[in-house]
Amino acid sequence: MSEGALAGAMDIEDYLAQGGVLTSPANVPARYRGELLRLMASFVDSELAASAGFAASINFAPGIKERIAASRITLEKADHAERVLAVMAEFGTDTARYQRQHDWAARVARDADLGAVRTGGDMRLSVFHYPIDGWADAVVMNVLMGLATGVQMTELTRLSYAPLAEVFRGIAPREARHAALGVEGLERLVADQAGRAAAVAAVAYWRPRVAATFGVAGSARHGMLARFGLRHATNAELLARWQAMVAETLGPAGLN
Amino acid sequence: MSRFHPLKVTEVRRETRDAVVVTLAPREEDRALFDFMQGQYLTFRRAFDGEELRRSYSICAGRHEGVLKVGIKRVEGGAFSTWANENLAPGDEIEAMPPMGKFFTPVDPAAEKHYLGFAGGSGITPVLSIIKTVLADEPASRFTLVYANRAVGTIMFREELEDLKNTYLGRFSVIHVLETEAQEIDLFTGRVDAAKMKALFAGWIDPKSVDTAFICGPEPMMLAIAASLREHGLSEGQIKFELFASGQPGRAKAKPVSKADLAAGDATTATVTLDGTTRSFAMPRQGQSILDAVIGNALDAPYSCKAGVCSTCRCKVIEGEVEMLTNHALEDYEVRAGYVLSCQSFPLTDKVVVTFDE
Ligand SMILES: Cc1cc2nc3c(=O)[nH]c(=O)nc-3n(C[C@H](O)[C@H](O)[C@H](O)COP(=O)(O)OP(=O)(O)OC[C@H]3O[C@@H](n4cnc5c(N)ncnc54)[C@H](O)[C@@H]3O)c2cc1C
Ligand code: FES
Repeated sequence: MSEGALAGAMDIEDYLAQGGVLTSPANVPARYRGELLRLMASFVDSELAASAGFAASINFAPGIKERIAASRITLEKADHAERVLAVMAEFGTDTARYQRQHDWAARVARDADLGAVRTGGDMRLSVFHYPIDGWADAVVMNVLMGLATGVQMTELTRLSYAPLAEVFRGIAPREARHAALGVEGLERLVADQAGRAAAVAAVAYWRPRVAATFGVAGSARHGMLARFGLRHATNAELLARWQAMVAETLGPAGLN
Repeated sequence: MSRFHPLKVTEVRRETRDAVVVTLAPREEDRALFDFMQGQYLTFRRAFDGEELRRSYSICAGRHEGVLKVGIKRVEGGAFSTWANENLAPGDEIEAMPPMGKFFTPVDPAAEKHYLGFAGGSGITPVLSIIKTVLADEPASRFTLVYANRAVGTIMFREELEDLKNTYLGRFSVIHVLETEAQEIDLFTGRVDAAKMKALFAGWIDPKSVDTAFICGPEPMMLAIAASLREHGLSEGQIKFELFASGQPGRAKAKPVSKADLAAGDATTATVTLDGTTRSFAMPRQGQSILDAVIGNALDAPYSCKAGVCSTCRCKVIEGEVEMLTNHALEDYEVRAGYVLSCQSFPLTDKVVVTFDE
């Protein structure tokens, strides 16, 4: 837009490349829209799948405190999905149909190897296709994935679609709390021998699978996403940041 | 599933030579739907030469005013804005979606905040709504507006802003920046760019006193202001944007379908399953997408952008073949699995069976 002589016309893609912010579906160019919807769908599907996964973990909980933590994570992840879905709705997504689209609790076999490839009809991160098989497993998965989400949030809270960035700024502290609940749970878990052994096994299982959520280094889409202001750091940078945080968190528990 | 509702035009007031302020009233039963937050916008739709256009306009009324008002500035050669400026009259009906947008912060009657607003030209509309709302509903908050225009004659809501200054003495101030007319102080002439921002922050506005900044104007102005606000310590969460620009290309001319093109062999029998119901109908092979044919046959298929980008219109081809013109949304694996974007797909065979249910 240009307000007559107020300023020369400016291409939206140039505006974005210079750090500009979009504010409504009307502003959004076609390709941007595709990538934005894809990003939102991936988040929504991952949160719904995570929530469905944690729902089952509630019954693995050894005590009331743990049961409450798992319930809270189950509830809030579904709530986060709903908030982002509300942004998709402004692009015409039929939200009622959308949430009925997939079986969010469906999982592959524990020993399946999906790599970073998305499978099935939904856009969830591959890690959410793997089943959780006990309390130690749930705690470790939540710690590792919680840290990964924390790293992803540094990107999501500043992406160039303002209504979505704002939703993420509301979600980020609660996701951080989920990770913190996980770390508390981990400390209790490793206090005894059996718990520690289970945690070691779970770390070995989940670490590479969570690492895969950062995608491939040098992703072909990254350049476009960066120009759109939908990404800032590269996959490799985010992965490195996560690895450092994992080392810092698991170290004191003797799990590195 | 229609998200549009009729609004009655109750008043059209000429605000400047190029802008009108339109007052609108929802039907009694739609009143709650059109309850708005300050700074939100309405999206209208209207057919021009048989083609539907959708345009958004920010609400310029305060929440407490109890009416819907939009300010529409005529854009040179603009279809909707010209029509609104020249033809809209009291008594007319126009269709709109309920208010949308997040260009606001929650109102708290106990708040003692300093808001800073930047508006360029017609970008004043949502900012005016915010100004009026916070001045009325947050008695201890204040607002500073920096308002850029080409010349005195193009300033929208000039009088209303003056009145607000008098009503809320000491709580509302306006700094006009005019591009063409030199004023006494240099600062107020020219564009709002990096240099002007620096000067504003050096002498007129203490950035540390600002709780939230609202920006609505042309892109270069938004970029310059946002960069300066960040430089002066405001966080992402403290800066609110509203952009009027349109990301869609101009009106695409749809290929006309003439009856003569529909000779034998040019038609297709489409069989469509939606919500568990299956229906068959004839459709042309060219000029009409599967989605449009489905909708034309009164099936309420989900769709949105009709541009091949949101995938809301995705369906699965069970039998026959289609050609998909654009695909910005589906991954290769989905395409291999038989999924297509119905809004982008045209039949290639004389029988096509698709389902929206799988
Ligand atoms: C969230 C939102 C809120 C908005 N609020 C308001 C508002 O309160 N008041 C208001 O007047 N407008 C507002 N707009 C802009 C409005 O929606 C239309 O884009 C504008 O009125 C032009 O539409 P049109 O059909 O008249 O022009 P079109 O027929 O779409 O465009 C004709 C030509 O003008 C160019 N053009 C389009 N828009 C502009 C522009 N703004 N300036 C200069 N050239 C342009 C186009 O590139 C095209 O070449 C808002 C937009 C959005 C997205
Ligand atoms: S309606 Fe959006 S891709 Fe078809």
